[in-house]
Amino acid sequence: MTQRRSYAVGTGLFIVLGFAALAYLATQTTSVANTGQGASYTVDAQFANVGQLKPRAPVKVAGVRIGQVKSIELTPGHEEATVKLAIDDKYKGIPDDSVATIFTSGLLGDQYVGLSFGSSKKALDDGGHIALTKPAQQLEDMLGRFFGGGSAPDRIGGTYHVTGHFTNVGSLTPGATVKLAGVPIGSVGKVVLTNDKLDAVVTLDIDKRYDQIPDDSAAAVFTSGLIGSQYVAIQPGGSPDMLKDGDQVVLTQSALQLEDLIGKFLVNGSPSDNKNNAGNGQPSQSNPQQSNPPAPGKK
Amino acid sequence: MNARIERNGVVSNALAQIGACALFGLTLLGAVPGSMRHFRETLRQVWFVGAMSLTIIMTCGLFVGMVLALQLYDVLSIFGGTSATGTVVAIAIYRELGPVVTALLFAGRAGTSITAEIGLMRATDQIDAMEMMAVDPLAYVAAPRFLAGIVAVPLLTVMFCTMGVLGGHLVGVSWLGIDNGTFWSNMTATVDVWKDIIDGVIIKSFVFGIVVTLIAVFQGYTTPPTSEGVAYATTRTVVASSIAILALDFVLTAFLV
Repeated sequence: MTQRRSYAVGTGLFIVLGFAALAYLATQTTSVANTGQGASYTVDAQFANVGQLKPRAPVKVAGVRIGQVKSIELTPGHEEATVKLAIDDKYKGIPDDSVATIFTSGLLGDQYVGLSFGSSKKALDDGGHIALTKPAQQLEDMLGRFFGGGSAPDRIGGTYHVTGHFTNVGSLTPGATVKLAGVPIGSVGKVVLTNDKLDAVVTLDIDKRYDQIPDDSAAAVFTSGLIGSQYVAIQPGGSPDMLKDGDQVVLTQSALQLEDLIGKFLVNGSPSDNKNNAGNGQPSQSNPQQSNPPAPGKK
Repeated sequence: MNARIERNGVVSNALAQIGACALFGLTLLGAVPGSMRHFRETLRQVWFVGAMSLTIIMTCGLFVGMVLALQLYDVLSIFGGTSATGTVVAIAIYRELGPVVTALLFAGRAGTSITAEIGLMRATDQIDAMEMMAVDPLAYVAAPRFLAGIVAVPLLTVMFCTMGVLGGHLVGVSWLGIDNGTFWSNMTATVDVWKDIIDGVIIKSFVFGIVVTLIAVFQGYTTPPTSEGVAYATTRTVVASSIAILALDFVLTAFLV
Protein backbone atom coordinates (compact mmCIF):
# COMPACT_ATOMS: atom_id res chain seq x y z
CA MET A 1 0.00 0.00 0.00
CA THR A 2 2.77 2.43 0.92
CA GLN A 3 4.42 1.37 -2.31
CA ARG A 4 1.35 2.37 -4.34
CA ARG A 5 0.96 5.60 -2.44
CA SER A 6 4.50 6.68 -3.21
CA TYR A 7 3.81 6.06 -6.90
CA ALA A 8 0.75 8.24 -6.74
CA VAL A 9 2.50 11.06 -4.90
CA GLY A 10 5.57 10.90 -7.14
CA THR A 11 3.50 10.80 -10.31
CA GLY A 12 1.36 13.69 -9.14
CA LEU A 13 4.47 15.66 -8.29
CA PHE A 14 5.92 14.91 -11.74
CA ILE A 15 2.77 16.09 -13.52
CA VAL A 16 2.44 19.24 -11.40
CA LEU A 17 6.12 20.02 -11.92
CA GLY A 18 5.72 19.55 -15.67
CA PHE A 19 2.79 21.93 -15.91
CA ALA A 20 4.51 24.45 -13.66
CA ALA A 21 7.52 24.38 -15.98
CA LEU A 22 5.23 24.85 -18.98
CA ALA A 23 3.57 27.85 -17.35
CA TYR A 24 7.01 29.27 -16.58
CA LEU A 25 8.24 28.85 -20.15
CA ALA A 26 5.09 30.25 -21.68
CA THR A 27 4.78 33.31 -19.48
CA GLN A 28 8.33 34.21 -18.51
CA THR A 29 10.45 33.46 -21.56
CA THR A 30 8.14 34.50 -24.40
CA SER A 31 6.64 37.74 -25.64
CA VAL A 32 3.68 37.06 -23.36
CA ALA A 33 5.87 38.52 -20.64
CA ASN A 34 5.84 41.83 -22.51
CA THR A 35 2.28 41.96 -23.70
CA GLY A 36 -0.27 43.73 -21.67
CA GLN A 37 -3.10 41.23 -21.91
CA GLY A 38 -5.75 43.88 -21.43
CA ALA A 39 -7.87 45.66 -23.99
CA SER A 40 -6.32 48.17 -26.33
CA TYR A 41 -7.44 51.03 -28.54
CA THR A 42 -6.25 51.73 -32.07
CA VAL A 43 -4.87 54.92 -33.52
CA ASP A 44 -3.31 55.37 -36.94
CA ALA A 45 -0.45 57.40 -38.32
CA GLN A 46 0.92 58.05 -41.80
CA PHE A 47 4.64 57.68 -42.34
CA ALA A 48 6.62 58.65 -45.41
CA ASN A 49 8.84 55.63 -44.81
CA VAL A 50 8.47 52.79 -42.32
CA GLY A 51 11.89 51.25 -43.01
CA GLN A 52 12.06 47.77 -41.49
CA LEU A 53 9.17 48.31 -39.06
CA LYS A 54 7.13 45.13 -38.67
CA PRO A 55 3.70 44.31 -37.25
CA ARG A 56 3.85 43.60 -33.49
CA ALA A 57 6.83 45.92 -33.08
CA PRO A 58 6.59 47.79 -29.78
CA VAL A 59 5.15 51.28 -29.34
CA LYS A 60 7.03 53.17 -26.66
CA VAL A 61 6.72 56.38 -24.72
CA ALA A 62 9.83 57.46 -22.84
CA GLY A 63 11.21 53.99 -23.52
CA VAL A 64 8.26 52.25 -21.82
CA ARG A 65 6.25 49.83 -23.92
CA ILE A 66 2.63 50.98 -24.17
CA GLY A 67 1.38 48.91 -27.10
CA GLN A 68 2.30 47.40 -30.43
CA VAL A 69 2.05 47.94 -34.18
CA LYS A 70 -1.12 46.32 -35.48
CA SER A 71 -0.73 46.62 -39.25
CA ILE A 72 1.30 48.40 -41.93
CA GLU A 73 -0.23 49.14 -45.32
CA LEU A 74 0.47 51.33 -48.29
CA THR A 75 -2.55 53.48 -49.02
CA PRO A 76 -3.06 53.22 -52.80
CA GLY A 77 -2.78 56.61 -54.38
CA HIS A 78 -0.61 57.97 -51.59
CA GLU A 79 3.12 57.57 -51.24
CA GLU A 80 2.66 56.95 -47.57
CA ALA A 81 2.45 53.97 -45.25
CA THR A 82 -0.53 53.80 -42.88
CA VAL A 83 0.53 52.28 -39.59
CA LYS A 84 -2.14 51.22 -37.08
CA LEU A 85 -0.99 51.26 -33.45
CA ALA A 86 -2.76 49.24 -30.76
CA ILE A 87 -2.20 51.02 -27.45
CA ASP A 88 -3.07 49.43 -24.11
CA ASP A 89 -6.22 50.83 -22.54
CA LYS A 90 -4.45 51.73 -19.33
CA TYR A 91 -2.41 54.31 -21.23
CA LYS A 92 -5.23 56.72 -22.01
CA GLY A 93 -4.66 60.42 -22.19
CA ILE A 94 -2.01 60.66 -24.90
CA PRO A 95 -2.27 64.20 -26.33
CA ASP A 96 -3.60 64.24 -29.90
CA ASP A 97 -0.72 66.40 -31.12
CA SER A 98 1.91 63.85 -30.10
CA VAL A 99 4.68 63.04 -32.55
CA ALA A 100 5.23 59.45 -33.74
CA THR A 101 8.78 58.62 -34.79
CA ILE A 102 10.26 55.36 -36.05
CA PHE A 103 13.40 54.54 -34.07
CA THR A 104 15.89 51.71 -34.24
CA SER A 105 17.05 49.89 -31.10
CA GLY A 106 20.80 50.13 -31.36
CA LEU A 107 22.64 49.93 -34.66
CA LEU A 108 21.34 46.56 -35.80
CA GLY A 109 18.25 46.26 -33.64
CA ASP A 110 14.60 46.08 -34.53
CA GLN A 111 12.64 49.19 -35.23
CA TYR A 112 9.87 50.53 -33.00
CA VAL A 113 7.50 53.47 -32.88
CA GLY A 114 8.30 56.12 -30.28
CA LEU A 115 5.70 58.65 -29.23
CA SER A 116 6.67 62.00 -27.78
CA PHE A 117 3.86 63.91 -26.12
CA GLY A 118 2.49 67.17 -27.42
CA SER A 119 0.86 69.84 -25.35
CA SER A 120 -2.75 69.48 -26.47
CA LYS A 121 -5.45 69.08 -23.83
CA LYS A 122 -7.37 66.66 -26.04
CA ALA A 123 -6.43 62.97 -25.76
CA LEU A 124 -6.24 60.38 -28.55
CA ASP A 125 -9.27 58.09 -28.69
CA ASP A 126 -9.99 54.81 -30.43
CA GLY A 127 -9.73 55.44 -34.19
CA GLY A 128 -7.74 58.59 -33.56
CA HIS A 129 -5.12 59.92 -35.89
CA ILE A 130 -1.57 61.01 -35.18
CA ALA A 131 -0.88 63.83 -37.63
CA LEU A 132 2.77 64.50 -36.81
CA THR A 133 5.18 61.75 -37.79
CA LYS A 134 8.85 61.33 -38.56
CA PRO A 135 9.81 58.53 -40.95
CA ALA A 136 12.44 55.87 -40.40
CA GLN A 137 15.95 57.12 -41.10
CA GLN A 138 17.65 55.46 -44.04
CA LEU A 139 21.23 54.62 -43.26
CA GLU A 140 22.21 55.58 -46.82
CA ASP A 141 20.56 58.99 -46.50
CA MET A 142 22.35 59.67 -43.24
CA LEU A 143 25.71 58.49 -44.52
CA GLY A 144 25.17 60.38 -47.76
CA ARG A 145 24.31 63.60 -45.94
CA PHE A 146 27.22 63.08 -43.59
CA PHE A 147 29.76 62.49 -46.31
CA GLY A 148 28.30 65.08 -48.64
CA GLY A 149 27.17 64.76 -52.20
CA GLY A 150 26.67 61.06 -51.86
CA SER A 151 22.91 61.20 -51.86
CA ALA A 152 22.47 63.35 -54.99
CA PRO A 153 20.90 61.52 -57.93
CA ASP A 154 23.85 60.72 -60.12
CA ARG A 155 22.32 59.60 -63.38
CA ILE A 156 19.45 60.16 -65.73
CA GLY A 157 18.12 57.18 -67.58
CA GLY A 158 15.72 54.54 -66.83
CA THR A 159 11.81 52.60 -67.49
CA TYR A 160 7.22 50.47 -65.94
CA HIS A 161 8.16 47.18 -66.17
CA VAL A 162 10.31 50.24 -65.56
CA THR A 163 14.01 50.25 -66.23
CA GLY A 164 16.64 52.37 -64.56
CA HIS A 165 20.28 52.94 -65.37
CA PHE A 166 22.66 52.74 -62.44
CA THR A 167 26.39 53.31 -62.50
CA ASN A 168 26.69 50.81 -59.67
CA VAL A 169 24.07 48.37 -58.38
CA GLY A 170 26.28 47.01 -55.60
CA SER A 171 25.16 43.48 -54.78
CA LEU A 172 21.61 44.01 -56.06
CA THR A 173 20.29 40.77 -57.56
CA PRO A 174 17.19 39.87 -59.61
CA GLY A 175 14.30 39.20 -57.24
CA ALA A 176 15.31 41.92 -54.79
CA THR A 177 12.46 44.00 -53.40
CA VAL A 178 11.28 47.33 -54.79
CA LYS A 179 9.95 49.51 -51.99
CA LEU A 180 8.05 52.75 -51.77
CA ALA A 181 7.85 54.43 -48.38
CA GLY A 182 9.29 51.20 -46.99
CA VAL A 183 6.41 49.05 -48.31
CA PRO A 184 7.25 46.40 -50.93
CA ILE A 185 5.57 47.25 -54.24
CA GLY A 186 7.43 44.98 -56.66
CA SER A 187 10.68 43.23 -57.44
CA VAL A 188 13.78 43.58 -59.55
CA GLY A 189 13.38 41.69 -62.82
CA LYS A 190 16.72 41.79 -64.57
CA VAL A 191 20.10 43.33 -63.90
CA VAL A 192 22.14 43.55 -67.11
CA LEU A 193 25.13 45.53 -68.31
CA THR A 194 24.78 47.82 -71.33
CA ASN A 195 27.65 47.38 -73.75
CA ASP A 196 27.83 50.94 -75.01
CA LYS A 197 27.75 52.92 -71.77
CA LEU A 198 29.07 50.30 -69.38
CA ASP A 199 26.37 50.92 -66.79
CA ALA A 200 23.81 48.57 -65.27
CA VAL A 201 20.21 48.46 -66.55
CA VAL A 202 17.81 47.29 -63.86
CA THR A 203 14.28 46.22 -64.82
CA LEU A 204 11.74 46.89 -62.06
CA ASP A 205 8.53 44.82 -62.10
CA ILE A 206 6.11 46.98 -60.14
CA ASP A 207 2.77 45.73 -58.94
CA LYS A 208 -0.15 46.95 -61.10
CA ARG A 209 -1.95 48.16 -57.96
CA TYR A 210 0.63 50.82 -57.48
CA ASP A 211 0.05 52.78 -60.69
CA GLN A 212 0.04 56.19 -59.06
CA ILE A 213 3.80 56.72 -59.01
CA PRO A 214 4.78 60.09 -60.53
CA ASP A 215 7.01 59.81 -63.60
CA ASP A 216 9.67 62.02 -62.04
CA SER A 217 10.20 59.61 -59.12
CA ALA A 218 13.72 58.56 -58.23
CA ALA A 219 14.99 54.99 -57.84
CA ALA A 220 17.80 54.29 -55.39
CA VAL A 221 19.65 51.15 -54.37
CA PHE A 222 19.49 50.90 -50.58
CA THR A 223 20.68 48.36 -48.05
CA SER A 224 18.41 46.99 -45.30
CA GLY A 225 20.32 47.91 -42.21
CA LEU A 226 24.10 47.81 -42.06
CA ILE A 227 24.62 44.26 -43.31
CA GLY A 228 21.22 43.46 -44.85
CA SER A 229 20.34 42.66 -48.44
CA GLN A 230 19.98 45.42 -51.01
CA TYR A 231 16.72 46.67 -52.45
CA VAL A 232 15.48 49.42 -54.77
CA ALA A 233 13.67 52.30 -53.09
CA ILE A 234 11.35 54.53 -55.12
CA GLN A 235 11.24 58.12 -53.92
CA PRO A 236 8.10 59.71 -55.37
CA GLY A 237 8.33 63.00 -57.22
CA GLY A 238 5.70 65.67 -57.73
CA SER A 239 4.75 65.27 -61.39
CA PRO A 240 1.03 64.93 -62.23
CA ASP A 241 1.83 62.25 -64.85
CA MET A 242 2.22 58.68 -63.64
CA LEU A 243 4.70 55.98 -64.63
CA LYS A 244 3.33 53.54 -67.21
CA ASP A 245 4.53 50.18 -68.52
CA GLY A 246 7.75 50.67 -70.51
CA ASP A 247 8.50 54.05 -68.99
CA GLN A 248 11.88 55.07 -67.67
CA VAL A 249 12.68 56.07 -64.15
CA VAL A 250 14.38 59.36 -64.71
CA LEU A 251 16.43 59.80 -61.59
CA THR A 252 18.50 56.99 -60.16
CA GLN A 253 20.90 56.77 -57.30
CA SER A 254 23.50 54.05 -57.27
CA ALA A 255 24.39 51.79 -54.38
CA LEU A 256 26.68 53.46 -51.90
CA GLN A 257 29.81 51.50 -51.33
CA LEU A 258 30.47 51.37 -47.62
CA GLU A 259 34.17 50.90 -48.37
CA ASP A 260 34.25 54.07 -50.50
CA LEU A 261 32.54 56.06 -47.78
CA ILE A 262 34.83 54.82 -45.07
CA GLY A 263 37.83 55.32 -47.30
CA LYS A 264 36.72 58.88 -48.04
CA PHE A 265 36.15 59.53 -44.38
CA LEU A 266 39.55 58.23 -43.40
CA VAL A 267 41.28 60.23 -46.10
CA ASN A 268 39.45 63.46 -45.37
CA GLY A 269 39.74 63.05 -41.65
CA SER A 270 43.47 62.39 -41.55
CA PRO A 271 46.32 64.59 -42.72
CA SER A 272 46.70 62.79 -46.01
CA ASP A 273 49.31 63.63 -48.63
CA ASN A 274 46.65 63.27 -51.32
CA LYS A 275 45.68 66.91 -51.77
CA ASN A 276 42.88 66.10 -54.21
CA ASN A 277 40.79 64.74 -51.42
CA ALA A 278 40.69 67.85 -49.29
CA GLY A 279 37.58 69.95 -49.30
CA ASN A 280 34.67 68.96 -51.46
CA GLY A 281 34.59 65.28 -50.66
CA GLN A 282 34.79 64.21 -54.30
CA PRO A 283 35.97 60.68 -54.61
CA SER A 284 39.39 60.00 -55.96
CA GLN A 285 39.86 56.67 -57.65
CA SER A 286 43.56 56.61 -56.88
CA ASN A 287 42.62 55.77 -53.40
CA PRO A 288 44.92 55.51 -50.53
CA GLN A 289 46.54 52.34 -49.52
CA GLN A 290 48.25 54.35 -46.83
CA SER A 291 45.06 55.19 -45.04
CA ASN A 292 44.92 51.63 -43.79
CA PRO A 293 41.25 50.89 -43.32
CA PRO A 294 40.92 48.56 -40.36
CA ALA A 295 40.95 45.10 -41.87
CA PRO A 296 38.54 42.60 -40.40
CA GLY A 297 41.10 40.24 -39.05
CA LYS A 298 41.33 37.49 -36.54
CA LYS A 299 41.77 38.29 -32.94
CA MET B 1 20.71 -10.62 -58.24
CA ASN B 2 20.89 -11.97 -54.77
CA ALA B 3 21.62 -8.58 -53.33
CA ARG B 4 18.64 -7.11 -55.15
CA ILE B 5 16.27 -9.68 -53.71
CA GLU B 6 17.78 -8.98 -50.34
CA ARG B 7 17.19 -5.26 -50.72
CA ASN B 8 13.61 -5.78 -51.79
CA GLY B 9 13.25 -7.94 -48.74
CA VAL B 10 14.52 -5.16 -46.51
CA VAL B 11 12.23 -2.57 -48.07
CA SER B 12 9.13 -4.74 -47.96
CA ASN B 13 10.05 -5.77 -44.42
CA ALA B 14 10.23 -2.14 -43.35
CA LEU B 15 6.92 -1.39 -45.07
CA ALA B 16 5.36 -4.41 -43.41
CA GLN B 17 6.65 -3.22 -40.03
CA ILE B 18 5.22 0.26 -40.56
CA GLY B 19 1.88 -1.14 -41.67
CA ALA B 20 1.70 -3.64 -38.82
CA CYS B 21 2.66 -0.92 -36.34
CA ALA B 22 -0.09 1.39 -37.61
CA LEU B 23 -2.70 -1.38 -37.45
CA PHE B 24 -1.50 -2.26 -33.95
CA GLY B 25 -1.89 1.39 -33.02
CA LEU B 26 -5.55 1.33 -34.10
CA THR B 27 -6.19 -1.87 -32.12
CA LEU B 28 -4.47 -0.26 -29.16
CA LEU B 29 -6.75 2.79 -29.38
CA GLY B 30 -9.68 0.39 -29.22
CA ALA B 31 -8.26 -1.02 -25.99
CA VAL B 32 -7.79 2.39 -24.36
CA PRO B 33 -11.34 2.65 -22.93
CA GLY B 34 -10.92 -0.83 -21.42
CA SER B 35 -7.68 0.25 -19.75
CA MET B 36 -9.51 2.90 -17.74
CA ARG B 37 -10.39 0.13 -15.30
CA HIS B 38 -6.66 -0.24 -14.70
CA PHE B 39 -6.09 3.42 -13.92
CA ARG B 40 -3.70 2.56 -11.07
CA GLU B 41 -1.55 0.68 -13.54
CA THR B 42 -1.46 3.69 -15.87
CA LEU B 43 -0.43 5.90 -12.96
CA ARG B 44 2.34 3.45 -12.03
CA GLN B 45 3.59 3.58 -15.62
CA VAL B 46 3.58 7.39 -15.65
CA TRP B 47 5.74 7.15 -12.55
CA PHE B 48 8.05 4.63 -14.15
CA VAL B 49 8.50 6.09 -17.66
CA GLY B 50 7.99 9.73 -16.69
CA ALA B 51 9.06 10.64 -13.21
CA MET B 52 11.94 8.14 -13.17
CA SER B 53 13.26 9.67 -16.42
CA LEU B 54 13.40 13.16 -14.92
CA THR B 55 17.01 12.84 -13.76
CA ILE B 56 18.45 12.04 -17.17
CA ILE B 57 16.19 14.52 -18.97
CA MET B 58 16.97 17.41 -16.64
CA THR B 59 20.70 16.72 -16.59
CA CYS B 60 20.88 16.50 -20.35
CA GLY B 61 18.73 19.62 -20.75
CA LEU B 62 21.04 21.57 -18.48
CA PHE B 63 24.13 20.53 -20.41
CA VAL B 64 22.54 21.13 -23.81
CA GLY B 65 21.59 24.67 -22.77
CA MET B 66 25.05 25.30 -21.33
CA VAL B 67 26.93 24.10 -24.40
CA LEU B 68 24.60 26.01 -26.73
CA ALA B 69 25.22 29.24 -24.84
CA LEU B 70 28.97 28.64 -24.93
CA GLN B 71 29.05 27.95 -28.67
CA LEU B 72 26.70 30.78 -29.58
CA TYR B 73 28.58 33.28 -27.45
CA ASP B 74 31.76 32.35 -29.28
CA VAL B 75 30.19 32.73 -32.74
CA LEU B 76 28.03 35.76 -31.98
CA SER B 77 30.97 37.67 -30.51
CA ILE B 78 32.35 37.82 -34.07
CA PHE B 79 29.38 40.00 -35.00
CA GLY B 80 29.16 41.80 -31.68
CA GLY B 81 25.80 40.18 -31.13
CA THR B 82 26.37 38.32 -27.88
CA SER B 83 23.25 39.88 -26.39
CA ALA B 84 21.25 37.61 -28.72
CA THR B 85 22.67 34.49 -27.04
CA GLY B 86 19.64 33.98 -24.79
CA THR B 87 17.22 34.41 -27.68
CA VAL B 88 18.95 31.89 -29.89
CA VAL B 89 19.39 29.38 -27.06
CA ALA B 90 15.68 29.59 -26.25
CA ILE B 91 14.51 29.33 -29.85
CA ALA B 92 16.87 26.46 -30.69
CA ILE B 93 15.79 24.53 -27.62
CA TYR B 94 12.07 25.20 -27.94
CA ARG B 95 11.77 24.49 -31.63
CA GLU B 96 14.18 21.63 -32.16
CA LEU B 97 16.48 20.38 -29.44
CA GLY B 98 13.94 20.13 -26.63
CA PRO B 99 11.38 17.90 -28.34
CA VAL B 100 13.89 15.89 -30.39
CA VAL B 101 16.53 15.20 -27.75
CA THR B 102 13.89 14.45 -25.13
CA ALA B 103 12.18 11.98 -27.44
CA LEU B 104 15.50 10.31 -28.31
CA LEU B 105 16.45 10.04 -24.64
CA PHE B 106 12.99 8.78 -23.82
CA ALA B 107 13.28 6.08 -26.49
CA GLY B 108 16.57 4.98 -24.95
CA ARG B 109 15.57 5.26 -21.32
CA ALA B 110 11.90 4.23 -21.27
CA GLY B 111 11.10 2.83 -24.74
CA THR B 112 13.63 0.02 -24.39
CA SER B 113 12.40 -0.96 -20.95
CA ILE B 114 8.79 -1.03 -22.18
CA THR B 115 9.80 -3.28 -25.09
CA ALA B 116 11.90 -5.56 -22.92
CA GLU B 117 9.22 -5.87 -20.24
CA ILE B 118 6.36 -6.64 -22.63
CA GLY B 119 8.67 -8.81 -24.74
CA LEU B 120 9.63 -10.88 -21.71
CA MET B 121 5.96 -11.25 -20.77
CA ARG B 122 5.39 -12.53 -24.29
CA ALA B 123 8.41 -14.87 -24.16
CA THR B 124 7.39 -16.34 -20.81
CA ASP B 125 3.76 -16.83 -21.95
CA GLN B 126 2.38 -14.38 -19.38
CA ILE B 127 0.40 -12.61 -22.10
CA ASP B 128 -1.12 -15.88 -23.31
CA ALA B 129 -1.96 -16.70 -19.70
CA MET B 130 -3.82 -13.40 -19.36
CA GLU B 131 -5.86 -14.21 -22.45
CA MET B 132 -6.67 -17.59 -20.89
CA MET B 133 -7.95 -15.82 -17.81
CA ALA B 134 -10.07 -13.48 -19.97
CA VAL B 135 -7.93 -10.45 -19.06
CA ASP B 136 -7.35 -8.38 -22.19
CA PRO B 137 -3.55 -7.96 -22.29
CA LEU B 138 -3.91 -4.97 -24.61
CA ALA B 139 -6.01 -3.18 -22.01
CA TYR B 140 -3.98 -4.33 -19.02
CA VAL B 141 -0.40 -4.29 -20.34
CA ALA B 142 -0.13 -2.30 -23.57
CA ALA B 143 -2.60 0.58 -23.25
CA PRO B 144 -1.47 1.83 -19.80
CA ARG B 145 2.14 2.09 -21.04
CA PHE B 146 0.98 3.80 -24.22
CA LEU B 147 -1.06 6.37 -22.31
CA ALA B 148 1.74 6.89 -19.82
CA GLY B 149 4.17 7.64 -22.64
CA ILE B 150 1.81 10.17 -24.21
CA VAL B 151 1.42 11.94 -20.87
CA ALA B 152 5.09 11.75 -19.93
CA VAL B 153 6.92 12.89 -23.09
CA PRO B 154 5.41 16.40 -23.35
CA LEU B 155 5.98 16.97 -19.62
CA LEU B 156 9.55 15.73 -19.86
CA THR B 157 10.12 17.96 -22.89
CA VAL B 158 8.93 20.99 -20.96
CA MET B 159 11.30 20.11 -18.12
CA PHE B 160 14.13 19.69 -20.63
CA CYS B 161 13.43 23.11 -22.13
CA THR B 162 13.29 24.77 -18.72
CA MET B 163 16.59 23.26 -17.68
CA GLY B 164 18.08 24.17 -21.08
CA VAL B 165 17.16 27.84 -20.72
CA LEU B 166 18.41 27.89 -17.14
CA GLY B 167 21.64 26.22 -18.32
CA GLY B 168 22.02 28.85 -21.01
CA HIS B 169 21.46 31.52 -18.36
CA LEU B 170 24.03 29.89 -16.09
CA VAL B 171 26.74 29.97 -18.74
CA GLY B 172 25.72 33.17 -20.48
CA VAL B 173 25.07 35.39 -17.47
CA SER B 174 26.98 33.86 -14.59
CA TRP B 175 30.04 32.78 -16.48
CA LEU B 176 30.41 34.80 -19.70
CA GLY B 177 29.01 37.99 -18.24
CA ILE B 178 26.06 38.80 -20.52
CA ASP B 179 23.84 41.29 -18.71
CA ASN B 180 21.03 39.54 -16.87
CA GLY B 181 18.35 41.98 -18.00
CA THR B 182 19.55 41.90 -21.62
CA PHE B 183 19.47 38.12 -21.59
CA TRP B 184 15.83 37.92 -20.51
CA SER B 185 14.47 40.98 -22.30
CA ASN B 186 15.94 39.95 -25.66
CA MET B 187 14.48 36.50 -25.12
CA THR B 188 11.02 37.73 -24.22
CA ALA B 189 11.10 40.21 -27.11
CA THR B 190 11.64 37.52 -29.73
CA VAL B 191 10.31 34.20 -28.44
CA ASP B 192 6.66 33.76 -29.34
CA VAL B 193 4.29 31.71 -27.24
CA TRP B 194 2.40 30.23 -30.21
CA LYS B 195 5.18 29.68 -32.71
CA ASP B 196 7.80 28.50 -30.25
CA ILE B 197 6.06 27.02 -27.22
CA ILE B 198 2.82 25.63 -28.66
CA ASP B 199 4.01 24.68 -32.16
CA GLY B 200 7.52 23.77 -31.09
CA VAL B 201 7.42 22.25 -27.65
CA ILE B 202 3.86 21.02 -27.23
CA ILE B 203 2.76 19.73 -30.65
CA LYS B 204 6.09 18.14 -31.51
CA SER B 205 6.56 16.45 -28.16
CA PHE B 206 2.99 15.18 -28.21
CA VAL B 207 3.48 13.57 -31.63
CA PHE B 208 6.87 12.17 -30.59
CA GLY B 209 5.34 10.75 -27.41
CA ILE B 210 2.67 8.90 -29.39
CA VAL B 211 5.14 7.56 -31.94
CA VAL B 212 7.92 6.50 -29.57
CA THR B 213 5.62 4.74 -27.13
CA LEU B 214 3.63 3.09 -29.90
CA ILE B 215 6.81 1.70 -31.45
CA ALA B 216 8.06 0.46 -28.06
CA VAL B 217 4.80 -1.26 -27.15
CA PHE B 218 4.40 -2.69 -30.66
CA GLN B 219 7.91 -4.14 -30.73
CA GLY B 220 7.47 -5.72 -27.32
CA TYR B 221 4.04 -7.07 -28.03
CA THR B 222 4.94 -8.68 -31.37
CA THR B 223 8.41 -9.94 -30.45
CA PRO B 224 9.31 -13.54 -31.30
CA PRO B 225 9.02 -15.36 -27.94
CA THR B 226 12.72 -16.10 -27.56
CA SER B 227 15.49 -14.35 -25.68
CA GLU B 228 17.08 -13.48 -29.02
CA GLY B 229 13.77 -12.10 -30.25
CA VAL B 230 13.48 -9.81 -27.22
CA ALA B 231 17.03 -8.56 -27.84
CA TYR B 232 16.22 -7.75 -31.47
CA ALA B 233 12.95 -6.10 -30.53
CA THR B 234 14.73 -3.82 -28.04
CA THR B 235 17.28 -2.83 -30.65
CA ARG B 236 14.58 -2.20 -33.22
CA THR B 237 12.74 0.04 -30.77
CA VAL B 238 15.70 2.39 -30.52
CA VAL B 239 16.49 2.33 -34.25
CA ALA B 240 12.91 2.75 -35.44
CA SER B 241 12.14 5.41 -32.81
CA SER B 242 15.21 7.46 -33.70
CA ILE B 243 14.46 7.37 -37.42
CA ALA B 244 10.78 8.12 -36.84
CA ILE B 245 11.56 11.05 -34.50
CA LEU B 246 14.00 12.73 -36.85
CA ALA B 247 11.92 12.13 -39.99
CA LEU B 248 8.73 13.33 -38.30
CA ASP B 249 10.60 16.31 -36.91
CA PHE B 250 11.37 17.40 -40.44
CA VAL B 251 7.81 16.86 -41.63
CA LEU B 252 6.31 18.65 -38.63
CA THR B 253 8.71 21.56 -38.99
CA ALA B 254 7.83 21.87 -42.68
CA PHE B 255 4.16 22.15 -41.72
CA LEU B 256 4.54 24.30 -38.64
CA VAL B 257 7.06 26.89 -39.84
